[in-house]
Amino acid sequence: MSEPLAIAGVVPRTVLTPPDTDALASAIRELAAAHKTFALVGGATQLELGNPPAPIDTAIRTTACARVLDYAPEDQTITVEAGMTIAAIQRALDPHRQVLALDVADPEAATVGGAIATNAFGRRRARYGAIKDNIVGIGVVRPDGTLARGGGKVVKNVAGFDLPKIMVGALGTLGAITSATFRVHPADECSAAVCVRASAADAYALAQATVDASLVPDSLVAYADDGSYDLVVRFGGFARGVEEQVAALHALAREHGLASESLDGDTVQAYDERERAVRRMPVTMRLGAPPVRLAGVLAGATEFSGRPRVWYPLIGAALAGAEHIDPPFIAALRETLSTVVLERVPLAARAGLDAWGTPPPSFAIMERLKDRFDPERLCNPGRFVGGL
Amino acid sequence: MIATPELGERHAAFAAIVGERNAIVDPSRLRTYECDGLLGFRVRPEIVVLPASTEEVSAVVKLARRFGMPIVPRGAGTGLSGGSLPIEGCLVVGLSRMTEILEIDLPNRRARVQPGVINLAISRRLAPDGYYYAPDPSSQSVCSIGGNVAENSGGAHCLKYGFTVNHVVGATLVTSDGEVVTIGAEGGEPETLGYDLMGVLVGSEGMLGIVTEVVIKILRLPQATRTVFATFPSTDEAGAAVSAIIAAGIVPAAIEMMDQLAIEAIVASTGVDWPLDVGAALLMDVDGVRGDVEHTADAAIALLRESGALEIRAPKDDAERALMWKGRKSAFAAMGRISPNYYVQDGVIPRKEIAPVLREIARLGAEQGLRVANVFHAGDGNLHPLVLYDGRIPGEEAKAEHVGGEILRVCIKFGGSITGEHGVGHDKALYLGELFNDDDLETMNFVRCAFDGAGVFNPTKVFPTPRLCGDRPGVYTPHATELAGTADRG
Repeated sequence: MSEPLAIAGVVPRTVLTPPDTDALASAIRELAAAHKTFALVGGATQLELGNPPAPIDTAIRTTACARVLDYAPEDQTITVEAGMTIAAIQRALDPHRQVLALDVADPEAATVGGAIATNAFGRRRARYGAIKDNIVGIGVVRPDGTLARGGGKVVKNVAGFDLPKIMVGALGTLGAITSATFRVHPADECSAAVCVRASAADAYALAQATVDASLVPDSLVAYADDGSYDLVVRFGGFARGVEEQVAALHALAREHGLASESLDGDTVQAYDERERAVRRMPVTMRLGAPPVRLAGVLAGATEFSGRPRVWYPLIGAALAGAEHIDPPFIAALRETLSTVVLERVPLAARAGLDAWGTPPPSFAIMERLKDRFDPERLCNPGRFVGGL
Repeated sequence: MIATPELGERHAAFAAIVGERNAIVDPSRLRTYECDGLLGFRVRPEIVVLPASTEEVSAVVKLARRFGMPIVPRGAGTGLSGGSLPIEGCLVVGLSRMTEILEIDLPNRRARVQPGVINLAISRRLAPDGYYYAPDPSSQSVCSIGGNVAENSGGAHCLKYGFTVNHVVGATLVTSDGEVVTIGAEGGEPETLGYDLMGVLVGSEGMLGIVTEVVIKILRLPQATRTVFATFPSTDEAGAAVSAIIAAGIVPAAIEMMDQLAIEAIVASTGVDWPLDVGAALLMDVDGVRGDVEHTADAAIALLRESGALEIRAPKDDAERALMWKGRKSAFAAMGRISPNYYVQDGVIPRKEIAPVLREIARLGAEQGLRVANVFHAGDGNLHPLVLYDGRIPGEEAKAEHVGGEILRVCIKFGGSITGEHGVGHDKALYLGELFNDDDLETMNFVRCAFDGAGVFNPTKVFPTPRLCGDRPGVYTPHATELAGTADRG
């Protein structure tokens, strides 16, 4: 018998797994009519994100709604149901040598609906952008059970208000995502990676140098290792461009007085495993700030609990992992950085800690948005920013 | 001369905020503001104000609310869907005096600009440092960033780099209460807490508020760019070439198609030496790191040839490259050389449907005895059919509009959209109801009501039937706590 499913520590009274989108919509309609609270759950990989919600009557799993609805390789778009895993979508794209540029910690378990709701991102964001830059259409079931859609199936479209954007990162508080259309990208013909061992300050300087040189890395990630970082720069594309960029990066490293080495495929994958290991730690946090400021904080940082283990210098984001929660440290980080989001915190340590931090100045508009979509606050109530 | 004492009083009140010169009621000066780039419709606004700061915009909005006037925000007035077409009795708030580039933050790759800044002015300012602002609508030398935000403007190079929404990260917004609110990011931070209000504010066509500052991403200029121009016997071969290039995993920065009529107009208007005896032409940019550019340009040229290109040219220098792009970007205006009037359409179709849709468009024009020129963003299936007509011939304008509308229905039928970058505005509000059902539109209206519950901003635009915020349809069922008397809906 597995552990009961808990949403930021709150165990729902019951769990439903509707067989298809229509059944999911009916379930929500019935719950809304009965004024019962509910929460949407995909692959259950990010259930600790956010604050504990108000008591949840029903958790609705999307995992049975997992079909490809439409795939047009010539148009580089794919429409999928929300319960499909990121890995399964990628398998559907593989025969046409295309990729969904969406990084999640556990692609075999994480669903696309959950990835959208949590605004998941990873190393390829620097090249392909975030989810909002790749999503072109969405189907939703509103908290009142009404089916609605926004955007479309074409990559360029400004007809009507952009509902896909408002659902990205809303943590399921505006309704259920049932389907989404994404722009996909051609797979790289060739790829390569270079590792440079550097201090935080040097790693940042080298990252900035790749921008100055107009290089276009597939990703640029600094993995913390004791006092310094392994800056791993990956390149993808056609062979000529990749070879040229690898050579250029080695040259830049030399100019900065840093040793660099090309990595083989297995070594690169070991870094992916390091990232997954960080995400499995008891406490994880997502840090965000303008790239220069984050670099400055990291360069000045000595050993601290929850130190960033995975840092995206050009994005201005980092993933910190720790064994224990350290509230004064979090409070201090929130003074310095733009966002410090607690992704994972042991239930016992949650008391008095807000997973998000101070709501933004536009919070009044967000509250009105929530009130329009979910006037009775039935849908994942209290889990999101500012108690939304 | 001011027509009524009431108008005189209002004028004086607005003039007290923005200055006498910048509060316009004189009919001859109001004429400029009667329409935008959608020339077929004109409405005289009651008053036009040209504020110079966020504070002035806020004060102006509060005053308009007191007078009960609807507000129509306006950028450079180049929009093609009537987004800034005035509404009877309205106040037009023109942002053309707010033209400062406030801050450039190269290390974080952000800039903060006022809404009246001209799109191209940003890239010009950044060029010496090796940076640029990516979205490049064809009107970029005259259109403003505020208007780009309202319309989610695209452009030729959006194929690779994305649209305005992918490059605007934050804004200062004046709401319908006159409040000044920061939306989205203040600078280079990658994440903001809560709902992505910025994502939905872009492309909201002036219905959610007035943007008075915009925070944008700026990009490093690519190492290299190669431009290729190719001609084809017909749009069929040109369309097949586009498909072949995309299928080969090549992502051009831009790939634009012009048909025979469009080429004729562009040649007459700009002096490019393009051949007139061809059915279609493609203009393509590939950019990026040098090695990739060389590889992809060579591969693309081979594919153009295999697809039946008649002639393939590369510009010999930057001047010739600039001229080629000037030709493409002035295509709309060039139509004046081959027709007294034209009606610009903007629709999107899946890229693979280009050939059948172009045939369908030609048939629709022929049925009404009208010619249709095509110049468009082939890489993302964003069509711009230009329906040519002579407004002096009774009935021709109506026929052109009819053809334009039928073209949108063809786009919907082929699984596309009624607008890729020009917006819904006044022009296409009726067609939005053919693309989306009532539930979809109601959901979009939720967003509007969250920002502007009073329906002050651009109230007659976008939605096919005017929607209020008070009337939520459906039978209201009271919550258990209400029935028990422990709560009410106050």
